[in-house]
Amino acid sequence: MIPYYTRFSLLALFLILVQVLIFDHINLFGFSNPMVYVLLMIIYRLDLDQFGFIIIAFIIGFMLDLISHTAGANSLACVSIAFARPLVSRFALGTNYDQSNAIFTNTLLSNRLLYYYLMVMIHQLFYTLMAYFTLEHMVTIVLHTVVNSLFSWLIILACISLLKPKK
Amino acid sequence: MQWILNAIIRYKNLLLYLFCTFLSLYFSSVQSSFHQNQLKQSSLFLAGIIYQPYDQLKSYFDLVDENQRLIKENNSLRTLLLEKFDPLELNNNETRNQTDLNYWSLPAKIIRNSFNKSRNVLLIDKGEKEGVMDEMGVIGPKGIIGIINQTSRNFASVLSILNLDLKINAKFKGSNVFGSLHWVGGGPIEMQLEDISIINPVKVGDTILTGGMSSYFPEGIPIGSVSSFTLPKNGGYYQIKVKLFTNMTDLNDVYVIGNKNREEIKTLLKSKQ
Repeated sequence: MIPYYTRFSLLALFLILVQVLIFDHINLFGFSNPMVYVLLMIIYRLDLDQFGFIIIAFIIGFMLDLISHTAGANSLACVSIAFARPLVSRFALGTNYDQSNAIFTNTLLSNRLLYYYLMVMIHQLFYTLMAYFTLEHMVTIVLHTVVNSLFSWLIILACISLLKPKK
Repeated sequence: MQWILNAIIRYKNLLLYLFCTFLSLYFSSVQSSFHQNQLKQSSLFLAGIIYQPYDQLKSYFDLVDENQRLIKENNSLRTLLLEKFDPLELNNNETRNQTDLNYWSLPAKIIRNSFNKSRNVLLIDKGEKEGVMDEMGVIGPKGIIGIINQTSRNFASVLSILNLDLKINAKFKGSNVFGSLHWVGGGPIEMQLEDISIINPVKVGDTILTGGMSSYFPEGIPIGSVSSFTLPKNGGYYQIKVKLFTNMTDLNDVYVIGNKNREEIKTLLKSKQ
């Protein structure tokens, strides 16, 4: 049995490469690229320490910033969802949110879909706000957030159905 | 003392989040310095290592289209030479030895293109080894691409013209009306030309060229054509939209433009300041 952190690190490495090599070049409607690596923040075990999770999220975001030259946008978006995740999961998944595999079991499909979407949307909002860093482009920011988060959400749902443990 | 420790332990997640947020904001706010600090080399190295094999594979599959494009480009350059019009002898490495021109050019290949962010940065496969330095201009077969902002031994990153922070000195073809061209976000097709006074006649289709008032680009490199313009209610200056000649979403071969008098110009500007 491979330890959890080793498996998570390998998946993180794989998703970062897939993100920069494939998903950053999709350009749907000329601007929309799905943020598939947010999957890492979504599936990270809910019962583990949040302090460590914020550090891991920052490292993942920072690596993407270095590779994609997005200076700070990915890091901020990642730490923001890492910090907000307990609130989001409590809101979307209910009181039993902190069980180790609550994401895949013990919850209704609608709750899980809401949880995925909120995570993706919050990440995208912080990412776009940070990238533009001005309220002059508010319409573009909202448009990018909505379109990108929906696109990312669909891709992430597909990935989760592949990763889902077999019963 | 104890209560401080208790508070730190109690709010450790919040404090860590604020610290990480501060770090992210710091990297973002000092983006230009960020590109100059000790992360510069490792960042470029990492991006180069990752994107070069990907680009090589992509280039292989694009060879047929690329050949066709190069044949067309060669043909048009030869036509220009026949007409004794010598803007820049682009496809030629030896242009660096020519002494009668103030600028030299160096062919390079885009190994990473970005056009959907608010601050787009490209990566090219030439670096300090080939003489590429910060603040050199980069042009494509159809017009300007950006300005070098960071170099390592084998790679360089280019601040794309599709970058909210970049302003380019531009002018109308056939006149000396100068303005400031910048990107306002949105699509990768159009930029905005400002500071053109309403006393100057403007019409849709007018060609916009580089103004040559900086050491980045020589005068007269094509940029785009006027696609639309508005007259402000209070008079003053036009708001002109310029459709770029270069398709920024499909870049492959570019040329780094070096100014032989760059150091002299920089020294002069520094001494004036």
